[in-house]
Amino acid sequence: MIRGNGMLNFDWLTGIPMGVAKGVFLALFAVIGLLVLMIPSDYIYEGLENPRWWHNLKLWAIADLVFIFITYYIF
Amino acid sequence: MLTGIDYFVVIAYLVGMALLGLYFRKFVHSSGDYFLAGRTLPFWAIGMSIVATDIGLMDFIGVSGQAYRYGIAVGNFDWIGSVPAMLLGAFIFIPYFWKAGLYTIPEYLGRRYNDYVRTVASLTWIIFFAFDLGIMFWASAVLLKALLGWPIWFSIISTAVVVGLYTIFGGLTAVVMTDVVQMIIMYVGGATLVFLGFYHVGGWSGLSDKIAAMGDAYRNHFELILPANTNTPFPWTGILFGLTFVMANAYMIGNQAIVQRCLAAKSEWDAKASMIWGAFLKMFIPVLVLFPGLIAIVIHPGLEDGDQAFGMLIRTLLPPGLTGLLFAALLAGLMSSIDSILNSTAALWTKDIYEKFIKKQASDRHYLIVGRIATVVLLVFGVITSPVSSFFPGIYVAVQTFLSFFQGPIFSVLLLGMLWPRATQWGGLAGLVGGITVSATLYVFKGSLFTIEDPFLYVSWWSFVAGFIITTVVSLMTTPYPRERLYGLVYRLHEKEQGRSGLRSRFGGVGK
Repeated sequence: MIRGNGMLNFDWLTGIPMGVAKGVFLALFAVIGLLVLMIPSDYIYEGLENPRWWHNLKLWAIADLVFIFITYYIF
Repeated sequence: MLTGIDYFVVIAYLVGMALLGLYFRKFVHSSGDYFLAGRTLPFWAIGMSIVATDIGLMDFIGVSGQAYRYGIAVGNFDWIGSVPAMLLGAFIFIPYFWKAGLYTIPEYLGRRYNDYVRTVASLTWIIFFAFDLGIMFWASAVLLKALLGWPIWFSIISTAVVVGLYTIFGGLTAVVMTDVVQMIIMYVGGATLVFLGFYHVGGWSGLSDKIAAMGDAYRNHFELILPANTNTPFPWTGILFGLTFVMANAYMIGNQAIVQRCLAAKSEWDAKASMIWGAFLKMFIPVLVLFPGLIAIVIHPGLEDGDQAFGMLIRTLLPPGLTGLLFAALLAGLMSSIDSILNSTAALWTKDIYEKFIKKQASDRHYLIVGRIATVVLLVFGVITSPVSSFFPGIYVAVQTFLSFFQGPIFSVLLLGMLWPRATQWGGLAGLVGGITVSATLYVFKGSLFTIEDPFLYVSWWSFVAGFIITTVVSLMTTPYPRERLYGLVYRLHEKEQGRSGLRSRFGGVGK
């Protein structure tokens, strides 16, 4: 029986301290932020005739990520 | 119970929604207007509509109930279960869907893979939405009966008539614009309850101190990340692998009811911006649906059923008038989900099934009429099948389980289709069907394979892995489409090919 070893259940990660688990979530947000910053600017503004600074969707995405990063950092 | 002024607010809301929705009927002249609002929608309306569609009446009750039992970990579904997926959708998937001029997500799968993949995906969504509609009608009617004392059939028929009127005549424009108003009402109604609740319990510090003083059972109520071996349904491993990597992406990128409004954006930039704006708005949802559960722990401790928390709080905290506003918010949550399901299912039926297999190359007016008839049929089907929930209490779980079979495999096929040019049509079909088979097998043997009672997060993850591996292996054994055939369907493929040919010509020039 597979029951008990918890392989599919990720029980093998039970020993990871909660501080590390939280770090994984925070690192995920940081990595997503870096990937967003690497997107070419011309791709961001596609579909706009006269782009303004506030059309920069990278800034919007980073604002979302900062908000969620702080939430997970606190809780 | 409601007072006269509360009834006035609720009835004014229902009449106002019907009139607002009907106003938009004058903009519907073609199937493109009906299903995609003529591709005229601005980002702010789409973002608000996504949030309104996502949050239903049952979320107010169910999420606050889970917060009452398990604490803020349930907020993961609206935070990490939305934001990363919506950013992925905004920057990778949605721009390509929009540029391709799609009506439905299965249509993308048809172009990227083949018609078999498109049909399997479309029929799955149609079956899920059709049955979900009846379940939603019944669950909401039961709730309205408990809270308002409305007879079951009065609730069902009145909701169906109001939603049906504006959805049938006004199409997606009416759906999105009423969603905008409904989202505002949901936010104002929900925030009012939370504000009064915090005032009652002494603010945030009063709430956290009082819950902390209630003993060990409430020790984790302010923890978002719970241990892998937690007794709750939200272990951090399941949240990370099942929710963040799979279910959230499948929902935000593969769900027709969510993505269809992005396809109706007036520009590619608006399509991208709508998702990021929606993600921002969505981060406030837990405040509205989760905090009432926590507040109820202090005001009404010891409830046997956590789902009673929201209703109890309404009765305790809200004065006449504001109670009506909150009921309008609850109705808004219900109606904004039903109208989206109606329009999306009609789009799936008309574009993926009727136009593809029943009547090709008919006039656009013909497809507009078919779309409207499909909406009426769905509405009637939803009303007629709604009592099924009372005869088979397990049907809600059964229908949700049916969808969860599909979430992991559909995302694996979408992901590989968008990012890997080598993925072939037969790889996609095998990955989708094989992944669904793995999901079903995992559910059948869940007692032997998993140690937690409801392993839906883990099943999503493993069926995604299965779909991913099967698609990859079969693709490597079969012939891919020519790369030119995939331009506009694979992320930045055309740009990369142009870059390579530019380099080749420059290198050739130097050689000469």
